[in-house]
Amino acid sequence: MADMQTLGELEQLILLAILRLGPEAFGLSIARELELQAGRRLSRGALYTTLDRLELKGLVRWKLETGGPERAGLPKRLYTVSARGVSALRASQRVLDRMWRGLDDIFGERSS
Amino acid sequence: MSRREPSRAVEWLLRRVLPNTVAEPVLGDLLEELRQSGNRARYLRQALSIAVYYTPGRLRRAPRHLPGASDGTERKPMGLESVVQDLKYAVRGLAKRPGFAVVVVLTLGLGIGASTAIFSIVDGILLQPLPFADPDRLVMANETKDGQRMTIAWPNYVDLRDRASSFESIACHQPNAFTLLGDGKPRRVNGRLVCAGFFEVLGIQPQTGRTFRAEDDRVGATPVAIVSDRFWKQDLGADPAVLGRTIRMSEKTFTIIGVLPAGFRFSRPEDFYAPVGLTITKDSGWLDRGNHFGLFAIARLKPGVELSQADAEVKRVADDLARAYPNTNAGNGGEVELLRDRFVDQVKSTLVALMGAVAFLLLLACVNVANLLVARGAARQHELAIRTALGGSRWRLVRQLLSESTLLSLAGGVLGILLAAWLVQTLVVLAPEGTPRIENVRMNWTSLTFALTAAIACGLIFGTFPALHASGIRGQHLLARASRTSAAISPRRTRRGLMIVEVALALILLAGCGLMARTMLRLSNVDTGFRADHLLTGRVMLAGDAWNNEARRLAFYDDVLARAKAVPGVRDAALTLSLPIDGSNWGSIFTVRDKPVPPRAELPSAAFIPVSPGYFSTMEMRLLKGRAFDDRDSPQGARVIIVNQKLAGQLWPGEDAIGKQLKQGWPETPEADAPWRTVVGQTPVRSIAIVARTEMEPTRAAAPLEAAVLASDKDLPLTRVLPMTQLMRDAVARQRVSTVILALFSAVAILLAAVGLYGVVSHSVTERTREIGVRMALGAERGQVLRLFVRNGLATAAAGTVIGLAGALALSRSLESLLFEVKPSDPLTFVAVAVLLLAVAMVACYLPARRAAGIDPLLALRTE
Repeated sequence: MADMQTLGELEQLILLAILRLGPEAFGLSIARELELQAGRRLSRGALYTTLDRLELKGLVRWKLETGGPERAGLPKRLYTVSARGVSALRASQRVLDRMWRGLDDIFGERSS
Repeated sequence: MSRREPSRAVEWLLRRVLPNTVAEPVLGDLLEELRQSGNRARYLRQALSIAVYYTPGRLRRAPRHLPGASDGTERKPMGLESVVQDLKYAVRGLAKRPGFAVVVVLTLGLGIGASTAIFSIVDGILLQPLPFADPDRLVMANETKDGQRMTIAWPNYVDLRDRASSFESIACHQPNAFTLLGDGKPRRVNGRLVCAGFFEVLGIQPQTGRTFRAEDDRVGATPVAIVSDRFWKQDLGADPAVLGRTIRMSEKTFTIIGVLPAGFRFSRPEDFYAPVGLTITKDSGWLDRGNHFGLFAIARLKPGVELSQADAEVKRVADDLARAYPNTNAGNGGEVELLRDRFVDQVKSTLVALMGAVAFLLLLACVNVANLLVARGAARQHELAIRTALGGSRWRLVRQLLSESTLLSLAGGVLGILLAAWLVQTLVVLAPEGTPRIENVRMNWTSLTFALTAAIACGLIFGTFPALHASGIRGQHLLARASRTSAAISPRRTRRGLMIVEVALALILLAGCGLMARTMLRLSNVDTGFRADHLLTGRVMLAGDAWNNEARRLAFYDDVLARAKAVPGVRDAALTLSLPIDGSNWGSIFTVRDKPVPPRAELPSAAFIPVSPGYFSTMEMRLLKGRAFDDRDSPQGARVIIVNQKLAGQLWPGEDAIGKQLKQGWPETPEADAPWRTVVGQTPVRSIAIVARTEMEPTRAAAPLEAAVLASDKDLPLTRVLPMTQLMRDAVARQRVSTVILALFSAVAILLAAVGLYGVVSHSVTERTREIGVRMALGAERGQVLRLFVRNGLATAAAGTVIGLAGALALSRSLESLLFEVKPSDPLTFVAVAVLLLAVAMVACYLPARRAAGIDPLLALRTE
């Protein structure tokens, strides 16, 4: 079922951010990546609840890592995108591709 | 507590709101970010957003986790549900007595609003970090003389830069003004000469282009400039191809190499930055260690280097320089201070004083509310007693009363926030011109948090006290005597105690206000020695190398003076280095003829102000003795000076100063053994002021005077054209604004105290109606009854006044830096405010007492 439903834009962005960050994806770095790459300034509350939702849908997994002195030893949740998450992203991309197909005439006029 | 340490409140909140597995990593993320950015406001905001996002789910789940919630037995209200029930009950109770609720909410709203507004200002100016990278490591390195800060001489800066190891980077800068020459009228533009690396020290990148490089920052380099975002948008039409464009500024053509990011601001709004190195030519005087040309050094501490270490090192370098160059550096020291402290230096004392005053106001509002709540508790004794008798637990009653007071204070908090939002806007407008970082002041999350914390704290602290009081009544005892209203002795004593505190607080505020008002009075009555009305002032900046030519300067002075005097309505005009209100930036060392020459470090120095011959008559300045400058004192004439009374008294005590001689400069300076001439034409002064004595309202001569200067030189704008009276008002703006604010606070304080006192006396009249009836029936005169109540009320007020006087005496020292010719313990002020407060108290007691005296004994006894 998860493959069938399309992902929300925010969910897509977060999943992509996790993939981009590789092994270093945790709350703070995800927020920064979103701001840096997508220009999205997300409230931290929205970010964490979305991550929880993605976990509930089985699209992301996390493991705890012991925190260093820079965070007073508080643990760090390192996120990875699950296989289901990857295929959900693929599915979303396919949907978008299909929707874009045949519109080249309209967009082709513009130089950029 | 450091700004980079996690907040315990945040940890507490998130550990409660978030599921355990989430809380720890989230707190870790927040902490890591806080440690990296140092942005505490952002940290708090993020934490709050997380709490808000997670709360709804938590609330929904909560009842299910309650023990006994699903076992079929009757549910006891617990946790959230009982809180909701308490709140409902509280709303109903308050709706029954809207007057009471309105008074409490208004009182709290005033207190919370005023304190939140002042807090927002303190937060914006003092607490928030500077908008530069890692601002806690930014410092200023100063030279000092006799413990006084002064600007740094260029060669000394170079030595400091090369020798000091505490700094990661160091740069220098000189606030400056430029004349923008274009197609239209020349315009004065505020800017700064900086050395390469200045923006790097701050961690600021231009939005387009680059910063200054070392090769830009030397004599003979192509002049380049960086402009502000505002200048780029307003004067250059937001030209996307701005890089490489040229502008004419102060007779030089600059190529623009960068535009600063929007919102960049260093200590004051500025539009134009150019390398200082362009001006440091051999004959400019910059290379002389004795010349302090308004240069400042800014530096970034190396990580891990403490301020005190850097300070010690700079002092060491200064000592070395003083030994190496005794002629110029003897007696000079050094110091390092945080950039942030320097920015807010002049307003810190005012803000701290206001914050203190507003804290007292808030406290007073709380005490007043406590007083009202105690009164209400007393009135509800009957109800509470019944509930206790029916088995209501004491804790439950306390909680219910507490929810009532919390509800009231939250309503007060909301009102306060609205009031604060309005007050902040108003105060920002009212703030004296040049208040540092005022653009940073606004209501934000921190202020809202402050307001809500204040509201909840008020509700809890001052609600607990009356709540415990009211619920402590023993049921049976009270029920039996419920109808005998004279039983409530203990609350009455409590209220009296609260009232004493209230009067004391009001008196402390009043005393502060009184001292400031006296200061204002003194300031406005200072004998300036000249006539300030009908006097127009303006400034001209002779920027550019062409003005190095003395003949050109002299010609300009003569010409511009002649033209200024020819302006219709101008009776007289003169030139001066600086206006009386500004003081002189030119400290000049001198030796006195026929007196021993002291060692170098102890040579006397005085503020030196070159003026043109007509200066004294234009200013209508009184001369105590001797003559004013006149046409005899031309460049060819004898060199003469005029000294003020204070200097004459210091140099020649008990002698006649007229005819005595001074020599300006170092004792070795090979110059004629005669005083220096003091006509403007001889000085290397670049910024001069024009004063014009007008026949009409001085502002009406402003436009013609500007035109006269432009006619003399089309590239010289006359700037800051203001009447002298306005300048004098501006000079005391800080004192005036704080006086106005303190006066407002005091007025509110008196009002609250008067209302409180009225309430206490009035309440006791109601309580003792029967007693009064008995007394009068037994033959007491009306006058006696009246005196009884006034005496009781006044005794309370007097006790408060005495305590308040002691408190004010102890606290007024903190106002010292704001006062002028008024001692913090000024007896007149203290007596005056005590009398004023007692007079108000007298009225507040008299009104209800008259009601007592008017009681008909028959009616009073019949109510039994």
